[in-house]
Amino acid sequence: MKEAKIITRDLTLHYGQKMALNFINIHIPEKEVTAFIGPSGCGKSTFLRCLNRMNDLIPSVKITGEIRIDDLDIYQKKIDVVNLRKKIGMVFQKSNPFAKSIFENVAYGPRINGVNNMKALTEIVERSLQNAAIWDEVKDRMHDSALGLSGGQQQRLCIARTLAVEPEIILMDEPASALDPISTGKIEELIFQLKKDYTIVIVTHNMQQAARVSDYTAFFYLGELIEHGKTRKIFTTPDKKQTEEYITGRFG
Amino acid sequence: MERHFELELEKLNKRLIKMGNLVAEQVHNVFDALLKGDTELAHQIIEKDSKVDKLDNKIDKLCQRLFALTQPVATDLRLIMAALRINNDLERMGDHAVAIAQKIEGISDYHEIIVDLRIDELVKMADMIVNDVITILNTKNVAFVKDIFELAMAIDEKAQAATARIMEEMMHKTDVIVVATNLIIILTNIERLAGYSTNIAESIVFIVDGRIMKHKKKTFDMINEASATELIQNAEHSTEKNNVSNLNENLSSEVTPSEG
Repeated sequence: MKEAKIITRDLTLHYGQKMALNFINIHIPEKEVTAFIGPSGCGKSTFLRCLNRMNDLIPSVKITGEIRIDDLDIYQKKIDVVNLRKKIGMVFQKSNPFAKSIFENVAYGPRINGVNNMKALTEIVERSLQNAAIWDEVKDRMHDSALGLSGGQQQRLCIARTLAVEPEIILMDEPASALDPISTGKIEELIFQLKKDYTIVIVTHNMQQAARVSDYTAFFYLGELIEHGKTRKIFTTPDKKQTEEYITGRFG
Repeated sequence: MERHFELELEKLNKRLIKMGNLVAEQVHNVFDALLKGDTELAHQIIEKDSKVDKLDNKIDKLCQRLFALTQPVATDLRLIMAALRINNDLERMGDHAVAIAQKIEGISDYHEIIVDLRIDELVKMADMIVNDVITILNTKNVAFVKDIFELAMAIDEKAQAATARIMEEMMHKTDVIVVATNLIIILTNIERLAGYSTNIAESIVFIVDGRIMKHKKKTFDMINEASATELIQNAEHSTEKNNVSNLNENLSSEVTPSEG
């Protein structure tokens, strides 16, 4: 396994009295794709949101344990959460482009981080759109509204927006579940390209997608991490019976 | 940007062709060793079989991974299914080359028998069928599959005729029983090489057409006239029953086969 980019130790999360994550210990390797799979309500999205402290926005959440990124505890008091979320980008199930032009969507992040030079902004926008595999489709209409793009294009635009602030980690919460098969294929192919430069964690309820795109797979159930390993092993010779039952569709 | 999956399929295809070339080389070398009585070369062939086995395992694992992780359908599914079969057939062909190599020392003192029985002609045909099927594996050009079936039948005919002569010799000369037995084993292995070549040809048709040719009788009339695709269609719809005994009769009398 490559160096661990993210390490969690005994991570436990409660929504009020209800435990949603129970002593999660995992090493997520750098510049690989790790997929979180499991039935609905198993805690995979909750765990994903712990990695960039999005759960801080939920008042009833209580977290114990540790999450270390590059060996730094991200829940220590001195951490700048805004900066953390620049380093750890996120793409959501429903694409959420701003009601702005395509250019301004991607330029927004660098702009609020102090990049005001137009030439520099243009370079960043073009590079980000190229890396998100959408440049050829939008280069001639950069000042058109982003809301006029198709669903698949909007999602790739959101990925470009994430890339523009030069993250190290990209979290994806079911990024293709709202898309048609062709757009899904483009997103999956993009993930293959992105992992050369970024650590990617993807939550998906589509096991076949996890099998196709990921290098490592973590199976969650009822808030516990049941099994974590190389995807090829998980989908050919899983260690745990529960994992075997889930991936073969015999669960419950 | 080529799809990741397509790159993986290309990897499988390349490995299969590598396996084919490796086995074809083993087969060619063992025939060379047989005709020259070269026991040193025979030994090298036996040693090299471990490479064949290693590649066999690699291909199996790749197929397993592709099935598990990519949910292939249509041509992709057929390719991976056929790859497993072709891989197995090639590995078995490698084993038969080794089996022949193991018998070469046992007949090296009786080399004149090989000349006498015109084994060199049989060996040339067997070498050709293996090379031809590997070529078709590479090109996926099923128009030449009929040549494979035709050649396999001719090899079987020749091998059986040679075997019959050897057995006749054994009845009259007891001192050649051991070498004769070794020769019969060699001939059986050569027949098996031809058999596996037809298996591979059938698998290639399956990849290209999706049709299952195995267990269907390939009659001489059908081979003579039709391309592989037409062959398959005729095999399904034909009510004529030209059988293999008619084929043998035609081959031995060199009569032009009747139109189908």
